[in-house]
Amino acid sequence: MNWRKLRVFLLTVLALCLIPATRWYQIDEPILRYFRASHDVDPLALHLSGEFVESNLGTEQNSDGSVTVRMIAQQYLFVPHCVLVPAGVPVHLRVTSADAVHSLAFNGTEYNIKVLPGTISASRLQFARPGEYKTMCREFCGAGHYAMRSALKVVPRDQFPALQPGERGTCAAQ
Amino acid sequence: MRRNRRGRFFRRLLWLTGGIVSACSLLFLATVLASDSAPDHVPSYVSWTAETVTAASSGDAFRGMLLARRCDHCHGAEGFSDRASTPNLAGIDKLAVWKQLQDFRSHKRISRVMEPIAGSLSSQDVEDVVAYYAKLPVFTDLQDNRAFPQARPDANHTAVALHLVSFGDGGRGIPPCQACHGPVGYRPGVPSLMTQNSEYLFNQLSAFANRERANDINMAMRTISTLLTEDERHALAEYYGAGLGLQPGSSK
Repeated sequence: MNWRKLRVFLLTVLALCLIPATRWYQIDEPILRYFRASHDVDPLALHLSGEFVESNLGTEQNSDGSVTVRMIAQQYLFVPHCVLVPAGVPVHLRVTSADAVHSLAFNGTEYNIKVLPGTISASRLQFARPGEYKTMCREFCGAGHYAMRSALKVVPRDQFPALQPGERGTCAAQ
Repeated sequence: MRRNRRGRFFRRLLWLTGGIVSACSLLFLATVLASDSAPDHVPSYVSWTAETVTAASSGDAFRGMLLARRCDHCHGAEGFSDRASTPNLAGIDKLAVWKQLQDFRSHKRISRVMEPIAGSLSSQDVEDVVAYYAKLPVFTDLQDNRAFPQARPDANHTAVALHLVSFGDGGRGIPPCQACHGPVGYRPGVPSLMTQNSEYLFNQLSAFANRERANDINMAMRTISTLLTEDERHALAEYYGAGLGLQPGSSK
């Protein structure tokens, strides 16, 4: 056994392992899930069945007072285009992509959620103050990328409409 | 001893068959009940998997030419319609027309005229007709196209439409039309609008906005046409209907 060669090999492997470790803060959880090939949904068949069918998009009222928001990011739109949530309540955001890699950023907050096809990006947000937050895609996704914007409307909790279990809220319904 | 063993075998077989049959019926009932309890609106049964794309683009254009003779009366012998309310089909992408015909067949897109016609075609017929219309020529010199353009450009509208087509409206979140409808970018199943009739385009945009037409996957066109004002819908329909999409330079 050539110990010199082995030592060089082991050091190289160690150095290669250190590269992702130094950039760990840049790696999002959805990306790791994507590379682990944990494909939650079929991006081509979102409209046929499953969690992201049309009637399930929008804001859902949970029994513990929090809300769940489901969205689809596609070239070059967020659907639903305007999301309505109550202020000061945990918002469980579940978003997936129908085509390319997108990112969902809320202007004026630190939230920037990477959206990948085949993966559900789940995150827990909370908006303290009512107001309208502009939402935009911050991952270049194609020719219409710069126009891929929508809005998130945060209303005081008493102004948020009472939603039935099967009902989903958007700005249009208000 | 021997008979006893055979009897045990048959008894076991009976139990096994009974078990399988009851499990299958339970499973069937469960699927039926599950499909009953979730009446989700499915916009279209088409999903752009590799198999779908292959099937939609493998038609025989010659057979399609023979079949398409019954489309002549409305869509024109050369794929250009005489009436502005009927779509032109010359040179349109195979996948786009294929999807619309599938949606007419499954009654996901409503049309009193097209639903029975598309229903009378077989899957092979649809592929062939679609392949034929994709092969029909479109000329950049507008004089050479039959019955197109039928609309005249309006100076006030053209500027609005040109901006929406090429840049969209970032403030309202309206993507540029040309990013999906060409020539900058295309997506599967999205038609080119460059030789489309104005009245047809306006009717479709209005139908999307009023939810009378709801066969767009993931609500793309329903969302966009709701964001457009009625004036902008008119402007866009006129822009494409006047052939300005085909000759962007002439709008100046």
